[in-house]
Formats: sequence, structure tokens, C-alpha cells
Amino acid sequence: MKENRRRKKFIGTPFQKKILLLVFVAMIVPAGIIAFCLYYLIFNLLAWQLGIPENVAYNLLPVAHRVNLIILIALPITLLVIWRIALELSHRIAGPLYRLEKELDERLVFDKKGPIQVRQKDELSSLAKKINKLIAKYGGGPCS
Amino acid sequence: MAKKLKVLLFFITFFVNGYMNISAEQLPKLFPFEKGDALKEWQEKIFKGKVLYSVIVNRKNGYLSAFSQNTASGIFYKLSFNPKKEPMVSWKWKVLKFPGKTNKVTDKNNGIEKDDYAARFYVIFPRLAFNLTKAMEYIWDETLPEGTIITSPYFKNIKLMVVESGKENLGKWVYEERNVYADFKKAFGREPGEAGAIALMTDTDNTASTAEADYDEIKVGYKK
Repeated sequence: MKENRRRKKFIGTPFQKKILLLVFVAMIVPAGIIAFCLYYLIFNLLAWQLGIPENVAYNLLPVAHRVNLIILIALPITLLVIWRIALELSHRIAGPLYRLEKELDERLVFDKKGPIQVRQKDELSSLAKKINKLIAKYGGGPCS
Repeated sequence: MAKKLKVLLFFITFFVNGYMNISAEQLPKLFPFEKGDALKEWQEKIFKGKVLYSVIVNRKNGYLSAFSQNTASGIFYKLSFNPKKEPMVSWKWKVLKFPGKTNKVTDKNNGIEKDDYAARFYVIFPRLAFNLTKAMEYIWDETLPEGTIITSPYFKNIKLMVVESGKENLGKWVYEERNVYADFKKAFGREPGEAGAIALMTDTDNTASTAEADYDEIKVGYKK
């Protein structure tokens, strides 16, 4: 089977949009909560350790401001990386489904013959193989 | 929804109090400094060098003595009380030597050069976010008039209130009783939340001088 890599990761189907949003939110929300809790837990514990308010203001607040600046710079990069991962994951699920649907449409509407072409690593390759077997059984085409 | 939120808030408060180790003690809490090991229950917090804090026990009673030489460290006690319900705090203090302040203050440091006091009494109001924590400090200053409220040069959430002024009572025990709720409202313009700690400090780090003060009979969290 010909292995051609997909270049376009965003196919824009409602299904992919839904998966993309789901994966993105599922990654962002827990990561955000954990980061927020850790940030305040660490700084609160340090503040209690320092005790005297002037000491906290003199030693801890400048560190917190520096950390905030780093977060501000790192946040867009992190969001971009998470978006890229979410896009990749959504495409792994939505891509094969889109392709399978397209292949089936070609057979139903344009009367295309032959087995459905799927990539070996596609999540839906086993389903495609079973459909091919079904086509071979009832349609008389070769099974792949 | 409101019930779920209450349960969540309860767990957050429980968790926060747990990790901050704030004890809910019987109020009013008294610190008479009558035993030699009275400082055991306090934590020393060093800012710039160690101030010598020691409990002096006489035949009749005891007190806490603080001697600072170009240093700033305080003693800190975690204790939770609601200033709305039990607003009063009281203590006795005696200044033996004020820090040597000069009149030279540069705008650059926002007056940090003068931020040394012979005696300070803190009430600290912690929040879930460390940067929202507020502190009310009662100070005995040599020059500032009684009743003056100033903002700390270190942080806007620290307000200093002069409750004793001048050398008139130098070397004499002076009793102070304050309504924390009213003072906080006056200083910050809003109601205080739960208080989480008290602290005492005598410091001379900014003036590079020496100061000496005694503290005694601290009482926290009661109604008048």
C-alpha cells in the first residue's frame, strides 16, 4: 500500500474541529490548574517561611515578578506547542475517518472500483480492511 | 451549586490551614513570657542578621528582651483569629534605645533608610495568594506623631501605625490596646479578613545602628 504522508493537518471537518477543541481544552485546563496551584503553593510556602512581611516583599516579590515575566514569555510558546500537539492528535483521529468517508463516497457516487486505500498506521485501517472484505464479498472486487 | 461551592471552599480552607499550619487556638491567646523557654512556641524569622531575642525571668515575672545591632529579624507566631469577632490585641512594651535615624532620605529608595523601629507589633492577614497578604504594624517611633499611618517602603500591603511616639516614655513600660478591626479599616479602607499570625520585631538594618526594646503581656483575640 502506498504510504503518502498527509501534509495538511487541518482538514476543517466539524468532527476534527470538535476533537481539536476537546484535546486542546483537555490539555490546557489540567495543565493550567496544576501550574496555578503549584505557583501559589510554592510562593505561599516560601512566604510563610520568610514570615516577616518586609522580608517577603523584599526577597520574594522580585522573584515572583521575574517568574511572572518568564511565564508571560513562555505562555504563548507553550500554547502554540499544545495547539500543534492537539492538531496532530485530532488529525490522527479525524483524518482517516475523512479519508474513509471520501473513499466510500467515491464508490457510492462515482462508481469507483477497487479496494479502499488506507495508510497502514491509520487508526481505522482494520475497519477499512473489513469494508474491503465486504466489498470483495458482495461487489466482487479484489480484497486487499 | 452553592452547597458544592461551600464544600469546595471548606476543603480549600482545610488544606490551606493544614499546609500553612495555622492553629485554631483558644482565644484570647496570652503570651506572658514568664518561663525561660517561652520563645519555644515562636519561630524566628531572619530578614538581615539576627536580633538577640531572649526571655528575661525575674523573681516576680518575665519579659521578652530584644537587642538589635545593624540587624533585622523578628519572632513570629501562627495563630488564627477573626478580627470582626475578637478585634482586640494588647501588649506592653518598653523602648530602651531608638535606632539612630538621620534626616537624609533619598527618594530613590522610597524611604527605606528610615524603615527601622525600636519596636514593632505585627498582625498578619494571609490570603490564598501570597501577594495579597496584608500586614498591620503597630510601631513606636521616635519622631512620627501618634496616630500616623504610613505605607511601608517595601510593599503597599504593609501599613504602619504609630501608636507610641517620642522619648517621653523611654525606659518605661507602656501598655497598648488596639482594635485591629478598626485600625485595619482605617489603614486599608476595607474590612480585614481572618488574621493568621502575629510577630514582633526590633530592627536597625537600614540605619546601621543599635536599638533595644522589651515586650510583655501580649494578649490576642478578645472583645472589649
